[in-house]
Amino acid sequence: MNLTLKSKLLIAGGFLVFVFLFIPFFISFSGRSDFYFTLTSVALLSIASAGVWLTFYIGRINIGQGAFSLIGAYVSAILVMKAGMNFWLTLPLAGLFTAFVSVLIGLPILRLKGVYFAMITLVLTQVVTLTALALPITNGARGIVSIPLPRELSVFGVTLIPDLGTMDNPKLAFYLISCVLMVLTYWVLYRLVNSRLGQICRSMQQNEELASSIGINIAYVRIIVFAISSFFGGIGGSMFGAIAQSVYPSTFQVKDSIDFMLNCFLGGLGYVFGPLLGTFVLYFGWDLLFILDKFQLLVYASIVIILMRFLPNGLLSIRFSNLRRKSD
Amino acid sequence: MEQILVNGVYLGAQYAMIALGLTLIFSLMNVLNFAHGQMYVIGGFVTYTIYGQLGIPFVVALFASCFTLAIIGALVERYLFGPVLKRSAREESSMLLAAGIALLLDAVILLLFGEKQRGVPKIVDGVFNWDFRIIIPYDRIVICCLAIFCIVAFIAFMQYTKTGRALRALAQDRVACQLMGVNVDRYSTIGFALGALLAGLVGGLLVTITGVNLGMGTPTSIKAFMMVMIGGAGVISGAIAGGIILGFLEAFGLAYLSQYGDITYLLIFITLMVFLAIRPQGLMGKPWG
Amino acid sequence: MFVRLLKLTLSLTLITLGFVSLSSAQNPVLKIGFVGVTSGPAAAWGISNQRSMETRAAWLNELGGVTIGDTTYDIEIVSFDDQKDPKRAIAGMEKMAQEGIHYVVGPNVDDGAAAVRPVAEAQGIMYFPYAFPKALYTAPASNAVLGMIASYQSGPPIYKYLMDNEGVSSVAFIAANESDPLSQRDNGVEAANALGLDIVSENVTYQVDTTDFVPVLTPVIRTNPDLLVLSGVSPANAPQLIRSARELGFEGIISTETAHDARVLQEGAGDLANGFISVGGASTPEIASDAMKEFVQRYTEMFGEYNDESNTKVYALEYILETLKANPAAIDDVNEFQKTMDTFEAPNPFMKGDAKLSYVGMTSFGQKRQVSVPMVINVYQDGQFETLFVGTVD
Repeated sequence: MNLTLKSKLLIAGGFLVFVFLFIPFFISFSGRSDFYFTLTSVALLSIASAGVWLTFYIGRINIGQGAFSLIGAYVSAILVMKAGMNFWLTLPLAGLFTAFVSVLIGLPILRLKGVYFAMITLVLTQVVTLTALALPITNGARGIVSIPLPRELSVFGVTLIPDLGTMDNPKLAFYLISCVLMVLTYWVLYRLVNSRLGQICRSMQQNEELASSIGINIAYVRIIVFAISSFFGGIGGSMFGAIAQSVYPSTFQVKDSIDFMLNCFLGGLGYVFGPLLGTFVLYFGWDLLFILDKFQLLVYASIVIILMRFLPNGLLSIRFSNLRRKSD
Repeated sequence: MEQILVNGVYLGAQYAMIALGLTLIFSLMNVLNFAHGQMYVIGGFVTYTIYGQLGIPFVVALFASCFTLAIIGALVERYLFGPVLKRSAREESSMLLAAGIALLLDAVILLLFGEKQRGVPKIVDGVFNWDFRIIIPYDRIVICCLAIFCIVAFIAFMQYTKTGRALRALAQDRVACQLMGVNVDRYSTIGFALGALLAGLVGGLLVTITGVNLGMGTPTSIKAFMMVMIGGAGVISGAIAGGIILGFLEAFGLAYLSQYGDITYLLIFITLMVFLAIRPQGLMGKPWG
Repeated sequence: MFVRLLKLTLSLTLITLGFVSLSSAQNPVLKIGFVGVTSGPAAAWGISNQRSMETRAAWLNELGGVTIGDTTYDIEIVSFDDQKDPKRAIAGMEKMAQEGIHYVVGPNVDDGAAAVRPVAEAQGIMYFPYAFPKALYTAPASNAVLGMIASYQSGPPIYKYLMDNEGVSSVAFIAANESDPLSQRDNGVEAANALGLDIVSENVTYQVDTTDFVPVLTPVIRTNPDLLVLSGVSPANAPQLIRSARELGFEGIISTETAHDARVLQEGAGDLANGFISVGGASTPEIASDAMKEFVQRYTEMFGEYNDESNTKVYALEYILETLKANPAAIDDVNEFQKTMDTFEAPNPFMKGDAKLSYVGMTSFGQKRQVSVPMVINVYQDGQFETLFVGTVD
């Protein structure tokens, strides 16, 4: 289980090469340009799922990430449309605003545990959807549509991201940017889990009272973790709005919240990269089964059940059970 | 006012029945059964097929619904939840399994029963109308009474039979139960089957009023979660209280907040969140789930 | 268990692959896409849509295919289930582009239709949504063609007709708390105001998952309107709403601007649904041509049961094929298609008389981005729809 630093770097490097070089080449070689959007979705949804995974890490079942993604999407859309801001500036603002909202909501509800926390976050998703339907600033039921593509982002005259509206292939740009965000997210997550905060989280996952009794300010840690988690959700949602160029109250709904959580389960709650793999399998799997037409849902559901039946601790647990068998 | 109270009682009885099966399964296995709503829908479709299409008496159809769902429930527990719960490191993982089963049942329902909204002939015709102060169709009264009867019967079953006692013991402490010589595996299966049976029963009952379509599953599950949450997870009386409270909340909310239109449900949900933030274990639940 | 399920999965895959290979006959294949919702609560919309396309395609193929220019094509319908999720709808549109498809029917709802717009315009796809937001069809949007009559087009004539013929003077609206129905309600309220109707209730909404409408309807019925409009009501909810309204003692007229299925109304509300006014398509006996009757018969043979919602959905595929026939260059160039749209005209095979297929929408959208279908207003009576009146849209 404990990989050496060298092999860790190798895996990470291999992953980066795969994502940033191999996939674009593969797509341009095979002509399957529809994979760009699917893989962009996987990258963005896995960012939001990473947030959910982080709340699992402090022992909370979070079925509310859809709410935060929706807030993020709306913040960006409103800032772009009403204030005329550059999308790339609104992206971090969306994340920060979402984190701020999550602190306000988290203060009362993070005291809850287990299934109660799960359910209250589930209700939260519905509350945010309904709020979006009722508020004038979100344009209610009519949604915000015809959002322009992100403009150029330059720092001190150096163009970091070109104007997507004038590009021939904005899909490739969205893919690469989303993957950069995804890599950053998981890098942060990895560092976090292996930091002191990560250790505190693990102790809280086991027993909050005990953690509290040795002088950890658990309320503070919970809020921080929940805010980071929601920040990820907001970023993912905001990017999605930019790609769809429209945001509706139904852009993220209860089903999405549940999906984010399921991504974590499928990948494995014990593994930092679990949500990434889980999102990939669940989202990409549906697209691949497209050829089955009306049996698509049936086969998809059967595969999920089979995977869970034989790998109840997530896909990533397969590696370790094999190792154990070898050592026997 | 009278009408609101009647609506509340009726909605409450109906909701309480939906929540019962869910809370039973939760208390026994700590599984949030996402497929509960789909089981309810299957119950509705079985009754629709037997009573609505084949014209066989309603009571027979109702038993067929219960029977079908009990079998499905037992199989699901025996071959899916049981083994998974034994092997998984964190029992929440069963939620993905439950969601997978919900998807599978959705697919099966679509293939077997089609996409249309279905309804059955009314079991009783006519409307009870007391001077336009209380208006309630007779079939609703019948279903409401049947629902209350079923709830009472279920409570009696849990209180006074050997199986019921074993199930309650199992819900309280699994390990102690095993030490006392209760066949835990067997009673888990029975409990799960019973929970599924309740879903089928209420599906069969309500198809006479609300009809049934394949999309009702997930929303029903979510509503049931909320009721369980209000009452307190894993407590039978809590589920009943939760169902009745949600029923009254809706009846009053819709009556007094309807002029604010779009925000009626928003307010109901916010009330719920505030309530839970103040009293996290629900009305009667064990604190901290 | 595992082995058995694996076998099942494998055999299902093989069967499906078998179907795919069977359907490719000797003619070259012209693929037409469908992106819509065929699972979950709104499945009825997408499935009736997909099936009517498949029925028509199978029928045309049986007749030897469709001749466009010098080539005769077999029609293949490629469908993608977007699960009513705008994110999936985008993926579906990308998939269509990947399959080399330039003509797509769907999506079925507002958010999906808005979300696929960037993809469709970038990839050169004409799409025929069943969604009403005007932004989709008004310039600079160019690639969406409204596949049916919008609620803001059918609403006013219905209200006007009822005012003139039934003496309706007050109206109440009720809608599901969801994007599409709320927008349709707002349009309806606007139209009713313009006509001078007295709006007694417009704010009441219900959750999409409501199964019991008595509490929802009680305050609406108390206002005692002449007309109750169920804005954007889904086929699943309509019978329950009608039944609850009638049981609460409502005696006025109930209407909606969406399409419904007679069998569903009969099972769900029985005689209480008599007099329910909805928007229909082509199958009522007064206007259905022999081709339409044959279509219904073939649909029933293929899928076991007809769905009246398909009546409004037979047209989009017909328009695509007929326009392609009129200008074969459009087969892989939507700019050609858009040019042809301005002048296109062909006989309407589904309707009696000399009705024409053409593109309209100048009044509502300022450009021809809507199919011209007869605006058939139906009234439900004893298990069947009867035509109340037929209007047109320009």
